[in-house]
Order: sequence, then structure tokens, then C-alpha cells
Amino acid sequence: MTLLRIDDVYQSYEAEQVLQGVSFDMQQGDVDVLMGPSGSGKSTMLRCINRLTEVDSGDIWLGDTHVTAPETDVNELRQDVGMVFQDFNLFAHLTALENITLGLKRVKGVHAEQARERARGHLDQVGLGDQTDAYPAELSGGQKQRVGIARALAMEPKLMLFDEPTSALDPELVGDVVAVMQDLAAGGMTMLVVSHEMGFARSAADDIHFLDNGQIVESGPPEQLFEQPEQDRTAGFLSGLQADGPQ
Amino acid sequence: MSTEESSAVDDVGIAAGVSVERPWALLVLAGFWGWLGSRWINDFLLPDSIAVSSERSFVPVDPVAAAAETLGSVAAALGPVGAPVDVVASLVGFVAGSLPHLPPLARGAWLTLLLTVAGIGFGFVLAVPLSVGRVYGGRWLRWLSLSYTELIRGTPLLAQLFVLYFGLPLTQVIRELPGVGAGPLPAQAFWVAVVGFTLNSAAYQAEYIRSALESVDAGQLTAARAVGLSRAEGIRYVVLPQGLRYAIPGWSNELIYLIKYSSLAAFITVRELFFRAEAIANDTFRYTELFVLAALFYLALVLSASVVMGWVEERSSVPGVGGRQ
Amino acid sequence: MVQTGDWVFVLSNADTLLFGLVVTVVLTLTSLSVGFLLGFPAGAIEVYGDGVLRRVVTVAGGLLRGTPIVVILLVLFFVVSVSESAFITATVGLGLRSAAYQSQLFRGALQSVDEGQLEAARATGMGKLQAIRHVVVPQALRRSMPGFQNEFTIVLKDTSIAFAIGLAELLTQGYNLFTQSGRSTAVLEVFLVISAVYFVLTFLTNRGLDRVSDYYAIPAGENR
Ligand SMILES: Nc1ncnc2c1ncn2[C@@H]1O[C@H](COP(=O)(O)OP(=O)(O)O)[C@@H](O)[C@H]1O
Ligand SMILES: [Mg+2]
Repeated sequence: MTLLRIDDVYQSYEAEQVLQGVSFDMQQGDVDVLMGPSGSGKSTMLRCINRLTEVDSGDIWLGDTHVTAPETDVNELRQDVGMVFQDFNLFAHLTALENITLGLKRVKGVHAEQARERARGHLDQVGLGDQTDAYPAELSGGQKQRVGIARALAMEPKLMLFDEPTSALDPELVGDVVAVMQDLAAGGMTMLVVSHEMGFARSAADDIHFLDNGQIVESGPPEQLFEQPEQDRTAGFLSGLQADGPQ
Repeated sequence: MSTEESSAVDDVGIAAGVSVERPWALLVLAGFWGWLGSRWINDFLLPDSIAVSSERSFVPVDPVAAAAETLGSVAAALGPVGAPVDVVASLVGFVAGSLPHLPPLARGAWLTLLLTVAGIGFGFVLAVPLSVGRVYGGRWLRWLSLSYTELIRGTPLLAQLFVLYFGLPLTQVIRELPGVGAGPLPAQAFWVAVVGFTLNSAAYQAEYIRSALESVDAGQLTAARAVGLSRAEGIRYVVLPQGLRYAIPGWSNELIYLIKYSSLAAFITVRELFFRAEAIANDTFRYTELFVLAALFYLALVLSASVVMGWVEERSSVPGVGGRQ
Repeated sequence: MVQTGDWVFVLSNADTLLFGLVVTVVLTLTSLSVGFLLGFPAGAIEVYGDGVLRRVVTVAGGLLRGTPIVVILLVLFFVVSVSESAFITATVGLGLRSAAYQSQLFRGALQSVDEGQLEAARATGMGKLQAIRHVVVPQALRRSMPGFQNEFTIVLKDTSIAFAIGLAELLTQGYNLFTQSGRSTAVLEVFLVISAVYFVLTFLTNRGLDRVSDYYAIPAGENR
């Protein structure tokens, strides 16, 4: 079943044209990775999917929800789309547990005790069952990002968006976060991931989309894209990645 | 220590909150200063033979008053449609009612300016040693300057002025000084106020400078010692020049505070701007004109100060140190 | 100058000063409350609002911040005549002026909260108001504590300027004590005592609010 359909999406900020006709589909349970140079429009693409950014033209469908239709209730849509940010954006004044319960209580109207119960479950799931009462400033980057993932999962989304979830982390902390994401992928979560983490892409991705200048230059499964890219731009970018490490 | 000083820099936005980024505002200010300057020259410097009487406004009152009256009757004749004309009429009427009071207010503004400039200037001279003593001094010096700033900042300025004016024999001493109260030199109360503002402002300025000095990287003094400067020289030539640049926003703030709080000198009989406005209002019962005028005068002074300080900030900044980022 | 007889005089009139002290404390609290109730929304309007409302708030704030408090008080008393009562007039005047300062305080604090916080809250499906209320405001209030502490002591000290409209607060009571009793030798003693009382008040306020800040501070660990 097609869960996400991106159809000919254009987007611009004032003078700057960012997305220039992006289209792709994701099936339920797919894990797709979006790669491309800095400024190519990857974050913008993700943000259009939960409407933190509005498209200029084109359509996005999530299941049978017409995401880009003006009458769609964004707050309802966003409960179905979890988002994980590069710089975590944990609520600084709340503990790990409260970061998760806030949305459950305020958006889903879950009763406080039950919200805590569920939040504990999600923290266990990301390996942080012992950090429920820690404030963000007391956590390492890797722990923060795992709380960020748990916070998104708690809303029971149909689709998870990850915007460079490991690129703000010290190298030795990347592994923990990638492991959590791999677990999620194995568990059947539909995930759209902006990342240059080759290990994750190889092991978990169904398809990789290479974005440049707001257009998808090439798409395909990791073996194909990494071993025999058809486009020179893709090949150039990937060889740069392999030489310099993730950017 | 209180956490008060951590907000010192935030306060800039607060005090300078009056927006100055509008060219017409600059034009209005230029007009205000042109008029005020001419008034001071006319009243204080020009010989009586060629000067306009210091009691008369530059613009004759009668025609303006007549215009207001005419407009008023036009508005009345127009009935309900005349409402906009009526507004104009009352504005012109306000101007006509204000004109006669402008000359004494201009003379009051002169004292306000002197009080502010003297307070901030002398206060600065005291504040630098106070803050340096606080940051780099030994135990006693630190304690002394801390006590002074906390005592001053913990009590109301008006109470301080009362202590100085009513409580201490300061007035008798100043009265005996040559020249006080004679000719252009203001009377004794003014000097008491200058002492008060100096002592008060020194404490606040010391706090601004202290937090600015502390924001200069400690490595700067180490590096100064490493090239062979003494500790005092290092503070004088390396730390202070940077620290004082960081202190400028706080300093702008203090200047604006002083302009406004100089009005409290009225309560120890200094004939500054607010004193004049209140005295005339009490005589003539024209409270509206006089207090609105006083407010406009202070607004113009505060705005001018923030324009000037914005310029100073820009001029004194070097890349990486001071200035608005 | 300082004579024992004059200290006895101050002591025997302690009730007069005590009355003034109560007025000062109550006036400080009422003014700060008015300032908060108006200043917080005003700050929020400056950050999140637009159009006419925002302009009105900005201009009114600028006027109040650019005018001496004594002029504001007299305008309210004689021109606007908000009330016969000097206490109410002082509350309105000090409250409005404090609102103008508090609005800047809260504006800065709201703006200092990272945009990502609001975005993350919106991404979980919270409405804009909800996100501001539950995520941005709690952080902004904590950050405005030092500035609020400063504002608290400014208002406390400036209650003395209600002297100008004859309100019987601490300073006025002291002034009347020496002018009306004919005991002019006690001037210094009276004002020293009054200053000491103000000092103790500001000192206690600062210590008290330090504690409040510490209590609400967000813990930060070794990391980061
Ligand atoms: N809020 C914004 N306002 C204006 N321009 C923006 C904004 N966000 C992103 N851009 C611009 O859009 C382009 C694409 O940005 P982005 O989607 O963040 O790229 P990527 O995530 O691939 O690095 C960049 O050139 C960036 O400067
Ligand atoms: Mg990006």
C-alpha cells in the first residue's frame, strides 16, 4: 500500500527556488534515505510533509490524507508524522519523561498517569529507561536524540521523518542512535531519513533518493546507487562522502 | 551578590526602546535642538539690547490663539462633520496655550542638561576606580566598593537627595564657595543635586563597568603580563579599553536613566525642567499643557541621547569588540 | 547634627514610619502586579502580534519609558485624573511604567527561546497557542527572572516618588515627620533610618528572588 506520495512538488523562499518538481512514493514499511549536498532542499522536503513549510505547487498524500490541501488540519496531520531534528529540540524545561508526556497529554488528551506509563515504555524502547527524570542539559547528545525519537514515537505516527539525526553527534555516539533507528526499521516503521550515514543506508534503506538543486537526480536501492550510479553528479557526491566522511 | 547585573546588557533594549530608525524623527529632533540652542544663546549670551525678552516666545502668541478660535468656530458651524476640524482646532489651541511657557521651560532644560552631563561625567570618574577596585582589588578594596555600590543601589535616589540637602550641612558649605548663585552659575541646590547624581550614578556605572570588565577574557591580562606589562599597565592598556567598549550599552542606559531621574532635583528646589513645569502649572492651573510639554521635552532629550549613544557605540567599536552585533 | 534626642524622636514616631512602610510594600506589590498583567501580554504582542495592536503597544511602551515617572504620576493625577486617591494613581502610574519595562523583559525572554522549541512542539501536533503556552512561556519566564528581580527593586525604590502626589508612603511619612513636628534637627536621623529600611527591603527582595530563581532553575549536568 502506498503510504506517502510526493507529486511534482515546488517550493521557494522569497527569491530562492528550492524544490523544483520533486516526486517519489513510499510503501507502507519502507525506509527511504534522502541524500544530497548541503542546501539542496532535503530539510525543506521533509518540512513540506508535515507542513512546517508550505509548498508552492504539487501534491503530497499521506495514506488518504491530502496533506497539501488547505483545509487539512495540520495539527491532526502532524500526529501522524513524527519528526526528529538534527539539533534535537528537546523541550529544555522538561525532563526526558515530560518531553514525551507533554504531547500525549496536550494533543492526544491522554490521562497523566497513563501518559507517564506510555512514555516510560518508549524510553525503554530507545534504551533510556533509567533516564526518565533527567533534564536535556543533563543528557549526552546521543541520549538527547534518542529521547527525541521516543517523543516522536509516542504520538504513534504512521510515518517518521528524520532530518540528519546523527550529524550533530560526536562520532562515538552515532552508533547508539543508528541502532535505535535500525530497530525501528526492522519493526516495520515507515521512515524517511535525511542522512549521510552510509552504514545505516546500506543496512536499512529500501531506496535512496539523491537530491541536487531541488530535483531528484537519481533513485534506487543502495547497492545500485552506491556501486553503479548512473549519474555523474551522484557518483561525484558519493565519492566525496566516502573520502571525507559524512558532512 | 544579586543577579541584578546579569541583566545590565538587556536593559539597553529597554531604555533605548524608543525607536530612532525614522528619518522624520531625526528631523524633529534637529528642530528641537535648533530652537533650544537659539533660546539658550538668546537668554544667556545675547545682550538685552538685541535679544528677544527672555519671557517672550519667538513665535507671537496672539495670531496662533486667534487661529485656534477661528478654527473652533468653523468646527462648531460645520456641526458633526466638523469633528476633524475640531481636532485641529484643539491642537492649535494647545500650541497657543503652550507658547508662552516655552521660554522658562527652555531655561529649565538647560539645568536638566547640566545635571545629567555632570552626573554622568563625574560619576564615571568615580566609577572606574570603584569597578577596577571591585574586580582587581584586594579584599578590603573589594569589600569597600561592593558596600558602596550596594548601599547606593539599595536606596531610593530621592532619599539620597534628601539626606544630602536636608540632612547634611552641605548647603552651608556650598553657599560659601565663590560665585555660587551669582551670574550664570546656578544656586547651591543645583550643586547638591550634582553631588547626589554623581554619587548615585557612580554606583550604577561601576556595576556596568564591572560586569564589562569581567566579560573581558582572563587570557587578555595574562597575555599583557607575558609581553612584560605590569599588572596595572595590563589593566590600563589592555583590559580597560576592551571593557569600556563592552560597557557602552550599559552606559547609554545610565545616561537615559539620569535624564529622567534628574527631574527629582525639583524636590530639593533645583529649578530644572520639571520644577519649572510644575511651578507654572500650579500658578496658572494649565496642568495639561505644562505636563504634556514637560513629557515632550524629556522624550526629546531621551531620544536624542539614544541617537547619540547609538552613534558613539558604532564609532567606538572595533571588529570583534563592542558595537551592536 | 546627630544627637541622641533625635534618635529617641525617631523611635517614638516608629508607628508613623511603620505606616509608611506598609504603604510602600503594598504599593510595590500592586504596581508590580499591574505591570505584570499588562506587561506580559504586551511583550507577547511585540513578539507574536502584528498590525495596529503591535504598533500601539510599541508606541505606548516607548512613551512610558521615555518619560520620568514623576511626570507620569502628575499627568495621571492632574490631567487624566484617574482617581482622587493618591494610592490608586500611584499604582496606575508605577504599574503602567513597570508594564512598559516588563514588556521589554518578556519580549527579550520570549525571543531568546530557540525557534526549534516552538517548531518541535508544533511538529507533535500542538496548536500555536498551545505550543507557546506550554513550551515557550515556561522557559521565557525562567529566563526573565534576573531582569524581573531588577525591575522589582526599581519599582520598590520608585514608590518613593509618589511623594510628588502626597501619598503617605515611607519617604513622605519621614518628610512629614520632620517638617510638621518642628523637630528639624532630626532630619538626618529620619532619612538615615528610612534609607536603612529601604536597603533592608531591597536586600530581602533580592535574596528572596534569588531563592525563587534557584528553585525553578533547570538542572544542567556535566554534559554538553
Ligand atoms: N526559512 C528559510 N528562509 C529562506 N531560505 C531558506 C529557509 N530555509 C532554507 N532556506 C534555503 O533553502 C535552501 C534549501 O535549504 P534546506 O532545505 O535546509 O537544504 P538542506 O537541508 O538540503 O541542506 C537553502 O539554500 C537555504 O538557504
Ligand atoms: Mg538540512
